[in-house]
Amino acid sequence: MPHFDLAAVLTDEFRGWLLQGLLLSLELMATTWLLAVPLATFTALCRLSSLAPARWLGFVLVEGIRNIPLLVQLLFWYFAVPELLPESVRAWLYEHNAEFICAAGGLTLYTSAFMAEDIRSGIRAVPITQLEAARALGFSFLASMRRIVLPQAIRIIVPPLISQSLNLWKNTSVATVIGTAELMYQAQRVETASFRGVETFTLTTVAYLSVSLTITALAVWFQRRFPVRTA
Amino acid sequence: MKSLLNVSHWAAQLCVALAGLISVQSAAADQLADIRQKGELVCGVLGTDEPMSFIDPKTRSLVGYDVDLCAAVAKKIGVTPKPKQLAVAARIPELQQGRVDILAATLTHTKEREAVVDFSLNVFVTGQKVMVRRDSGITKVAQLAGKKVVTVKGGTQEPNMRKAVPTVDVVTFETAPQAFVALQQRKAAGFVNDEVSLLDAFGKLGDAQKDYVVLPDSISVEAIALGLRKGEPALKTLVNDALRELEQSGQAQQLFFKWFGPTSRLKYRTRSFKIDSDRI
Repeated sequence: MPHFDLAAVLTDEFRGWLLQGLLLSLELMATTWLLAVPLATFTALCRLSSLAPARWLGFVLVEGIRNIPLLVQLLFWYFAVPELLPESVRAWLYEHNAEFICAAGGLTLYTSAFMAEDIRSGIRAVPITQLEAARALGFSFLASMRRIVLPQAIRIIVPPLISQSLNLWKNTSVATVIGTAELMYQAQRVETASFRGVETFTLTTVAYLSVSLTITALAVWFQRRFPVRTA
Repeated sequence: MKSLLNVSHWAAQLCVALAGLISVQSAAADQLADIRQKGELVCGVLGTDEPMSFIDPKTRSLVGYDVDLCAAVAKKIGVTPKPKQLAVAARIPELQQGRVDILAATLTHTKEREAVVDFSLNVFVTGQKVMVRRDSGITKVAQLAGKKVVTVKGGTQEPNMRKAVPTVDVVTFETAPQAFVALQQRKAAGFVNDEVSLLDAFGKLGDAQKDYVVLPDSISVEAIALGLRKGEPALKTLVNDALRELEQSGQAQQLFFKWFGPTSRLKYRTRSFKIDSDRI
């Protein structure tokens, strides 16, 4: 084996590929996060609803998605789902970076299923009497959630939500299998062109780890700054 | 005191054992002797690249041109051939790290790769081409400028395509069949691969062949060879001897027609190369 030489994978060309990959990974995480949090909140509220059909919808969403491997889901979203779409939608998708859109779509559903459970357990951690009191005072279900329960639940929800964001960051790497040019994809390109697997994946590891540790630090900070207050 | 002595004795033994292990690893200078000792030749093959190497649906075992070459080399050494399936991108790392003995994995002999692996005589020569859908109206490789093409990760297809058409957008997948599906689903304008694999895929289309065209101009000519770890002259000599014998006995010709001839999907009538040089 040739000796370890980081400079070999830091030429202008390779560095450019790796940076492009890192940037796209971050974009993929940001897009997915912004879509997944509202979807997860919706799913959690469905599961807590007093309406049976809504509870069933929430249950199917969470259990259906959580129990299928992400790799399978992404391949499904890229190779199968577009074939089921109407011709015009499909043509539009293929004109607009289908690799990124399918990855973001698949990751959003996958991440939201896990986030929904964290949100649901956070809401359930607020004593039910709070909701009952709000309802007794004449607040509607949604209004009591928004004004009474969620503000208390948020301190409980955020730490596990940050930990799901960390999982999301790591999961973006799976998108390489559907040709999304994120960090892993570009790392494999650099490895193929440079024959420097050890150096390439050392750099890639450092890149993933830096972002992961930043997210972890954010979680630690939040827990210190906003500790859970019991009602 | 006694127990302490025991512990130190035990630790010393462990150190000796570890040192022994390390020295065995570094003493393994001659790979050929190792292969003879373990009695098998582990050949890295793709298994997703019909007819070079693929899984026979009836027997569920790996077969193909590359697998037969592996068997011929193993026979020459006097050991059992053992094909092992690899991803395109994992070929050279697996060879370097000693998880396979040789590569019979549709590996193109390139100047760049010479820095990290040794090559046998060329065992196959093929061009790389592009398949497009007929209704795209594309008839020349140059017309792919600014369009999206798909291929397999980790091979020479991507760099060759970018060299041929610098403005092309290349998207890669883990296996060539996945890339082919992407073309069929209209996710890209073209599918790049070695000509033999491309013609084989085309052959499998059956009635749908009328909807696809393999563009006539090649983006490169690929000399395919077996890959060997660097600095193993004894093994390299033996592998090349085995290949030369195949050529001289006419078996190489038979192998070619078995996998690429008129009775195969590829229907080649003539063989345009001989296994006699490692020039690229």
